[in-house]
Amino acid sequence: MNKAYLGIDIGSISTKGVIIDENNNILASSYIWTLADPVNAVKKLLKNLKQDIPKNYTVVSVGTTGSARRLIGIMTGANVIKNEITAHAIGTLSKYKDVKTIFEIGGQDSKIILINDGIVTDYAMNTLCAAGTGAFLSSQAKRLNIDVKDFGKMALNSKNPTKIAARCTVFAESDLVHKAQIGHKKEDIVAGICESVVNNYLNNVAKGKKITPPIVFQGGVSKNIGVVKAFEKITKEKIITDDNGHLMGALGVAILAKKEKEEIFDFDILNLDFETKGYECKKCPNHCEIIAIKKNKKIVDAWGNRCEKGSLI
Amino acid sequence: MIIGIPRSLFYYKYGTLIKTFFNELGIDYVISNPSNKKILEDGKTLAPSESCMNLKLFLGHVKDLENKCNFLFIPRFESVNKGEKLCTNFYLLPDLVRNIFEEHIIDFNVNVNKGKTMKSAFIELGLYLGFSYNKTVNAYKKALETDKKVKNNLLLKQTNTLNNSNKKILIVGHSYNIYDEMIGKPIINTLEENNFSIIYADICDEKEKNDELSSSIYFTYNKELIRAINYYKEYVDGIIIISAFPCGPDSIVNDLIIRKTKDIPIINLIIDEVSSNTGILTRLESFMDIINKESAYGK
Repeated sequence: MNKAYLGIDIGSISTKGVIIDENNNILASSYIWTLADPVNAVKKLLKNLKQDIPKNYTVVSVGTTGSARRLIGIMTGANVIKNEITAHAIGTLSKYKDVKTIFEIGGQDSKIILINDGIVTDYAMNTLCAAGTGAFLSSQAKRLNIDVKDFGKMALNSKNPTKIAARCTVFAESDLVHKAQIGHKKEDIVAGICESVVNNYLNNVAKGKKITPPIVFQGGVSKNIGVVKAFEKITKEKIITDDNGHLMGALGVAILAKKEKEEIFDFDILNLDFETKGYECKKCPNHCEIIAIKKNKKIVDAWGNRCEKGSLI
Repeated sequence: MIIGIPRSLFYYKYGTLIKTFFNELGIDYVISNPSNKKILEDGKTLAPSESCMNLKLFLGHVKDLENKCNFLFIPRFESVNKGEKLCTNFYLLPDLVRNIFEEHIIDFNVNVNKGKTMKSAFIELGLYLGFSYNKTVNAYKKALETDKKVKNNLLLKQTNTLNNSNKKILIVGHSYNIYDEMIGKPIINTLEENNFSIIYADICDEKEKNDELSSSIYFTYNKELIRAINYYKEYVDGIIIISAFPCGPDSIVNDLIIRKTKDIPIINLIIDEVSSNTGILTRLESFMDIINKESAYGK
């Protein structure tokens, strides 16, 4: 029996999972929508992975990352629960060991990670605003009645991208409507949106950061060829994308899981009944938001309380 | 007679001074509870739109004092050093509170640029409350002494921390942010749980302050913080700037700090009213990984 390691990256929009062997080769992977239901997303993900994992491999360690990492970590009994930035860096470094800059644009987050000698030295994330992320692209695609998957290809047809305000989604949207109404071509508008994503990223998230090649671009938005080309045009650097770019966080956390204590992972958690509950503790004016996770009707973990009064375990 | 003091903004700067002054004169006072969700929620409904989080919290603290006191102590600080200024919020507090609450407010105005010093404000306050000039002056002297003692103790404690073997993080932020239960405390607790020692930029020996970066800044509190960075930089492993959203002075000065501070990991955490702390935790965990370098990679 060969050893395998499972990494799950559960983001706001999509849930990614990989199973790797001891040499970091991907044995199975899955990419599905989270649909604001992390528990069921993970169940579905595990079901897909279970079907694809070669018969002679057994998962012996699990890692989780992404914004629901803690919840899913408890659910899967993960050995390591890691933040997205470190996970993405480790995953990317395993494939591109010389990488110096990682651009990452996901569903609601965008980040830049700077790496020197294989170690993260600096990073930045979008602060309070999710402008110029995947959520922005998909809502604009809907407005233009284009499938978000065709968005990038359409942008490539444009010879004269329309200038669109880059700062805020709401303003960008009214600007876009205005540009459409005065007669700009659809592909020019689409290309304009791609450039506005890049300008927003470089002026906000990457502001003041020294961008050194090699640059790897990942996250869901890296699948959009229009945005990739806009990045190349504006930074005047070669942008590396990877077919598995969306899996780098999951890959990174699977690699981290390799270093942990081994314990055979049972895919049967698929059949267990998990239920989560969030509520405000009213026992003092702090009103802590408490999250409890139940396995077969029994509370297995709870957090969010600042004091003993809110403790459920 | 009981005087109510909101545990917000000026309290974190001049709390010892004010409390000792009242203690010396034998005046009863009550301080609002440490910030909590209810205080923030109350503040949000009372504050004018577009207010900063600190102003919202402040009004929540005033609300917390309702029916607990006869007078509110809401000072107006316009400038505390010659040629410098405080944020506008600090000098509109009495007007704002007077417009929203029924409670009586005790006047207290400090504006060094117009000759109104801290001392003259405290003496006016003592006289207004019916105490003799001598008694008031003595109370103020005692308050100054105690304030100095407290600050020296903090400095001594911090000097000891500088010499311990833990990894150290310099926290740069206004005292009303970093010591607030809703803003800085959760961040500092997380860092301490992960065995980092905290160095506070607002605790710094006057002699060690370095004006290289700050000569043209006229916001007193930002100036104080930025002067401490140059001194502490070589002793710490990373710098975290904490701001509440939105903050005019911070938005200018934090950018300056980040651009001018090289060769050390630095991040800027902006706290807003969003109740979920997932975003802050992710940023904090990543930052701790950067400082812990290899160990974070399981090497």
